[in-house]
Amino acid sequence: MSDHEPRVLGFLCNWCSYAGADLAGTSRIQYPPNIRIIRVPCSGRVDPLLVIKAFERGFDGVLVSGCHPGDCHYTQGNYYARRRLAILRDLLEFIGIEGDRFRVEWVSAAEGQRFARIVADFVMRLKELGPRR
Amino acid sequence: MEEIRAKAIELLRSGEVKCFIGYERASDGLTARPFFAYSADDAGRLIFDRTCAHNLARYLPDMRGQRVAILVKPCDSRSVNVLIQEGQVNREEVYVVGVVCDGVYKASWGQPSQELEARCLYCSRRVPVVYDHLIGQPPASEPQTPASIPEVEALERRSAKERWEFWRSHFARCIRCNACRQICPACYCPQCFSDQLDPLWTGIRIGLPQNWVWNVGRALHLAGRCADCGGCERACPMGIPLAALNRKLAGRVKELFGFEAGLDPRAPFPFATFKKEEVL
Ligand code: SF4
Ligand code: SF4
Ligand code: SF4
Repeated sequence: MSDHEPRVLGFLCNWCSYAGADLAGTSRIQYPPNIRIIRVPCSGRVDPLLVIKAFERGFDGVLVSGCHPGDCHYTQGNYYARRRLAILRDLLEFIGIEGDRFRVEWVSAAEGQRFARIVADFVMRLKELGPRR
Repeated sequence: MEEIRAKAIELLRSGEVKCFIGYERASDGLTARPFFAYSADDAGRLIFDRTCAHNLARYLPDMRGQRVAILVKPCDSRSVNVLIQEGQVNREEVYVVGVVCDGVYKASWGQPSQELEARCLYCSRRVPVVYDHLIGQPPASEPQTPASIPEVEALERRSAKERWEFWRSHFARCIRCNACRQICPACYCPQCFSDQLDPLWTGIRIGLPQNWVWNVGRALHLAGRCADCGGCERACPMGIPLAALNRKLAGRVKELFGFEAGLDPRAPFPFATFKKEEVL
């Protein structure tokens, strides 16, 4: 474990996960301040290039979070995202960015607690991995 | 060779096609280069042998609106299907002349190479997947594909850190000449993400980490679309092992989605569809 403070970029969908993060905030649930959040209309909006770009800019980890499968506001955005992000993870892993640095999680608007736990786990794991080379 | 010329003469004389896209001997007298035959006279210059490595499907989108014939090896034929699937080529406009192929030689300037390209060693097809006319005798059975690709597997066995160093050192040498893109049949985008200024995906500077976005981004765009024709790696002046990236992703797309690029032009593209129940 290093004392390195990882920087995490989070892409959260407007309808579920962003509201979930909001709930964590309004419920005063504590989670590590290492995450910077970008609100997107849907997890399907997350072009894998955005994730690649985030790693280029030196982020230690990237979180993409959207509605649970079946709950997408646009009915299918997260299903498409799931496929694209799965292949992206394989590619990142293959070029040497540990799969654990890229997380895809489904968080609903009611899961403030869960959001906080995911961020906390993620940051802990990133501390174990240490800074990106 | 004679059979190809005869077919080209027949197609051009009858007016069935305006142009026959094939190969001719290059000026070094050893290698081959793409050749566009517009008349029966031209057709006498056509050749086909183990030096004909190029994937001619690259030229098809530019020929839209005219009837053309094209000579394809099995790998190239998959690119033709990819272009049809993606609406870049009208099947009716193209007369596909397929050749039975058992491998092409590595490109070599100045001296004849007798060594097969790496991809040919584990290629699983001898017969093109799409053709109107077939040249050569199909073998009794298609060759067995090895379960894994040695250079991909060797990388997978290394640690993430080692893989990072490996690719970093390669990508650092990329001069962003775009040869890999220009030669690729699947890279027909009128504006490539790497040419966009707003947003500026790939920074202007030629170096890391900017190159990294280009090389990784392009690999990603070819997932499920690359026919493994070897064009990009052959064209790369810096000798960057681009094929390993493409093969890795092709393998995963097959494992996860049961899809192989260019086998069926009517199949839905794996990233434009989904299964609700899949676990990824
Ligand atoms: S990515 Fe390379 S190997 Fe694949 S189709 Fe394009 S040029 Fe051929
Ligand atoms: S790299 Fe991507 S955006 Fe660029 S031409 Fe190829 S497919 Fe199109
Ligand atoms: S051909 Fe090679 S050097 Fe040129 S842009 Fe592609 S990877 Fe870079």
